[in-house]
Amino acid sequence: MSDAWEIVIGLEVHVQLHTRAKVFASASWGFGKEPNEQVDPVVLGLPGTLPVVNREAVEKAILFGLVVDAEIPEQCAWDRKNYFYPDNPKNYQLTQKDFPVTMGGKVEIELPGAARNIMGEHKWIRIHHAHLEEDVGKLSHSGSGSLVDYNRAGVPLLEIVTEPDLRSAAEASAFLNALVVKLTQAGVADCDMEKGQLRCDANVSVRRVGDTQLGTRTETKNLNSISGVRDCIIYESKRQIAQIEAGNKITQETRGWNAEMSRGYVLRDKEDAHDYRYFPDPDIPTLKISRETVNRLKKHVPEAPFDRQRRYIEKLNLPYTAASVLIADKALADWFETAVAAHPTNAAGIANWAANDLLRELSAQSGTEVGSDETPAVKISLDSCLIKPAQLAGLVKLTDEGVISKQQAKEVFTEMFSTGKDALAIVEAKGLRQNSDTGELEKIVAEVIADPAVAKSIAEYRAGNEKAINALKGPIMKRTQGKANPVMIDQLLRKLLG
Amino acid sequence: MAEEIYQLSATEISSRLAAGKLTSRAVVEALISRYHQLNKKIGAFTSLDEKDVLAQADASDARRKAGKVLSPLDGIPVAIKENIAVKGQPLTCSSKMLANLISPYDAHVVEALKSAGAIIYGRLNMDEFAMGSSTENSAIQKTFNPWDLTRIPGGSSGGSAASLASGLVPLALGSDTGGSIRQPASHCGIVGMKPTYGLVSRFGLVAFASSLDQIGPMARTVADCELLLNVLASPDARDMTCFDSTQRNQLPVASEKSLRIGVPKGVLGKGVGAEVAAATQAAIDFYKSKGATIIEVDLPSSDLAVPTYYVVATAEASSNLARYDGVRYGHRSANAKTPIEMMTNSRSEGFGPEVKRRILLGTFVLSAGYADAYYVRALRARSKIRAEHLAALEKVDMILSPTVPTPAFKVGEKVSDPLQLYLEDIFTIPANLAGLPALSVPCGKSGHLPVGFHLVGAPLSESKLFAAAQLFESAHSFANQQPTL
Amino acid sequence: MAKGLDIDHLAKLARLNLTADEKVLYSNQLTQVLTYFETLAKADLPANSDVALVVTEKALRSDEPGVSLGSDAVTKIAPASYDGQISVPRVVDDES
Ligand SMILES: [Mg+2]
Ligand SMILES: [Zn+2]
Repeated sequence: MSDAWEIVIGLEVHVQLHTRAKVFASASWGFGKEPNEQVDPVVLGLPGTLPVVNREAVEKAILFGLVVDAEIPEQCAWDRKNYFYPDNPKNYQLTQKDFPVTMGGKVEIELPGAARNIMGEHKWIRIHHAHLEEDVGKLSHSGSGSLVDYNRAGVPLLEIVTEPDLRSAAEASAFLNALVVKLTQAGVADCDMEKGQLRCDANVSVRRVGDTQLGTRTETKNLNSISGVRDCIIYESKRQIAQIEAGNKITQETRGWNAEMSRGYVLRDKEDAHDYRYFPDPDIPTLKISRETVNRLKKHVPEAPFDRQRRYIEKLNLPYTAASVLIADKALADWFETAVAAHPTNAAGIANWAANDLLRELSAQSGTEVGSDETPAVKISLDSCLIKPAQLAGLVKLTDEGVISKQQAKEVFTEMFSTGKDALAIVEAKGLRQNSDTGELEKIVAEVIADPAVAKSIAEYRAGNEKAINALKGPIMKRTQGKANPVMIDQLLRKLLG
Repeated sequence: MAEEIYQLSATEISSRLAAGKLTSRAVVEALISRYHQLNKKIGAFTSLDEKDVLAQADASDARRKAGKVLSPLDGIPVAIKENIAVKGQPLTCSSKMLANLISPYDAHVVEALKSAGAIIYGRLNMDEFAMGSSTENSAIQKTFNPWDLTRIPGGSSGGSAASLASGLVPLALGSDTGGSIRQPASHCGIVGMKPTYGLVSRFGLVAFASSLDQIGPMARTVADCELLLNVLASPDARDMTCFDSTQRNQLPVASEKSLRIGVPKGVLGKGVGAEVAAATQAAIDFYKSKGATIIEVDLPSSDLAVPTYYVVATAEASSNLARYDGVRYGHRSANAKTPIEMMTNSRSEGFGPEVKRRILLGTFVLSAGYADAYYVRALRARSKIRAEHLAALEKVDMILSPTVPTPAFKVGEKVSDPLQLYLEDIFTIPANLAGLPALSVPCGKSGHLPVGFHLVGAPLSESKLFAAAQLFESAHSFANQQPTL
Repeated sequence: MAKGLDIDHLAKLARLNLTADEKVLYSNQLTQVLTYFETLAKADLPANSDVALVVTEKALRSDEPGVSLGSDAVTKIAPASYDGQISVPRVVDDES
């Protein structure tokens, strides 16, 4: 038996779907409303009320299925999960147990590379199914009692259940990042973790490397951030390994997670397991999903981010880092591709601007941190961006043609970002055009060569030290106030120095 | 005419209103005085807001004057069972649990009645949460059979049936999960129909067993019953189980001569009272005399109907009634230290014994380890029962039987024997399990007590059933029978 | 008594308190009813049930937000409330 341990993880991810109304009621939902302001008789479970399924929620769920290559069964149905709790208005939750809206599917993930600019290993994580259910209300506790707000009750939740394919906390993080990118890019969900729009249950077990049997698993409920999932998996796998190594057995139990203390705790063991008494909801008939709907929604499936990444690297010759940054934001990547269409010969140059300067300015504008762990999908808005794709393409073109220097281009970009003017107009207005007048330049170059201060460098160059020529470029630039075309300076120097 | 206003049928009131011979106010005033005279004795109504109903009557009369009559029901009072939501009125379901709940919304049927100009006229007693066959399970009051005040009116729509039989109102709404419209209709000598499942929206009907519940019309005549159903039966997107406009085509009415009536093998045998059997046989003979073909039909799974029903209905009920926990509305127990204690105490204090019994039974049949033996098997039995009925209804237009095996029993007689009470529904339950339309029509007496016969038809054959019932009613005087009160 | 009928467990699942007398009464009555249900256990039944209704997407609601009751209406019918929220006894840890 091996001494090394393998961690086996399956996730149940709950995401709030992007809809305006609730999943079985017409009450609206959204963050930051006063308590119980988004409640109608159906949400409150008043006697006599009935659920009616929101079409948009079903379509968002189907779209998710198409995004992860799942099967969309001909029919789906809802069941009642019965349990009493004050935040559960009917004391049953409408969910899909036997006939979920999507079956199967897979998500490509990328593990962290050896360095930030090196691509990591890619792997596929299988999805078992995804089902459409309703969220519950929110309980808050005060000294003497608890308070219930039902605004969140009835918000559409898609529960995405993976196969136990994940093998480390890093893989779980990578999976959640990839999932969030897919969900947001397809418009299925916003996945704002600060607003509780993505919550996870983690099923964790450990076994010795080489074992084929799965170990006893525990389920930790309600992890509400990607870092929480990562920390919990690390904690729980260590705990289980320590238990087994100490000769103890793992109990199949449901656990909670204290994020402040980074510690897990037992919620209930198997003996206390709920008897949910599932049965088909008699108020919601089995729903037939037409193939027309599926085919219509297929048109809304965006290119898979990692397909895009491969295309950028292989076809457009983008460096890995820029490609990875761009694919994380669909709008930015689309924007980038429009720019490339306007100047197809230097996609890498455009990518460099878009993935660095533009993204930095945009996120400074919106006040979000770029690519942080909790916001894998960079939250920027291109709506307010004054630079149009063709304008950035124009800037890169001017640089490529030697009209302006790289240094000048930075200045043009800054101006362009704040005014939305064309690159050429800015160049003209600021008089930034590189000096490409051969006669005038040749005169200046000749004068610099004649300066005794550079005699030593000239001698070294002539003796075969190629780099020594660079010492002459500075004084030339200085005399032209930086407007000289560096390519021309180089050519002239070589000509005049023989 | 010596006939009193309270004795008039809705159809008659409608034509007198149209002819200007009567006002809605006069009708309502007559009914209010009848209410003062009799309701204490009968216990049919749980509440009646006199000012409100008079105002509705005046509004109707004003509409009529202005030539803006909304429908044939305009100005006609319709009383509503306690489990149907009327905005601003209590929705008690005759339970202590909901004693203080005021509904903030209208049921679909109430909206439909309001837009037809009908007067929403008072609330009717019932078995708590529609669980029972005698209206003895009401936490509000007892209701007595107008034909014999020592007997039960049937249930759960006992208030509805008793109010009609005693001339307190011309039209009433009931709800029927296993016979709750038809059984009290039979016991009180009136007409009651349970429509095809899906014909009438359940939005606003407090659920007992969602896959079986239907709201239906109750009246003293077949024509009135049909008049009321026509207002209730309209599409409603708020109930996903309710037919849309394309799914509502009624089967054509059969002519007297081509009418084929099925009689289940041995239906008048064991358990059916002699006088009930005789009255039913007389109805069969009547149809035969009119040229109908009487065909014996075989429904071998009939024995399974009662157990199947009680498994499915209680399973659904145990979940439907979980929401009554004292948190959001309804009865809350004082002195609880935790939410669980509060919910448990509230439920224990708020529900009556029959409701508790059915919740426990339903919880059991769904619980881990037993669901397959009970709930899942019951669903399969339900399929079989439905298939047998649909097959029989390919060969006949309708199936005729007694509505209830024996006439109304004494108050208190079956309280301690739930199983005996469950067997009251033996003839009515299959229509609920199979989602079929069914009605009960008065057809005679057992001693001094009325009895009815029962017709079940294919889905959406309501018109056919009404036509057949009308044929019987016109040739007999049972529609005019009135108890002496 | 019908096999497996554990009245205490059922009462707990159903969130009902039962007195000792009630436990005896309900156990007996449920046992009687369940015995009567034996016909169901013995019956020859189809392998699957097909009673569930089926609807098309036409029956779905459009994603149009409707009217809210408002927290005043919610708290008005609630047995106890505080500042727009419904109040209950304090939840001790996770009881769900
Ligand atoms: Mg889960
Ligand atoms: Zn879930």
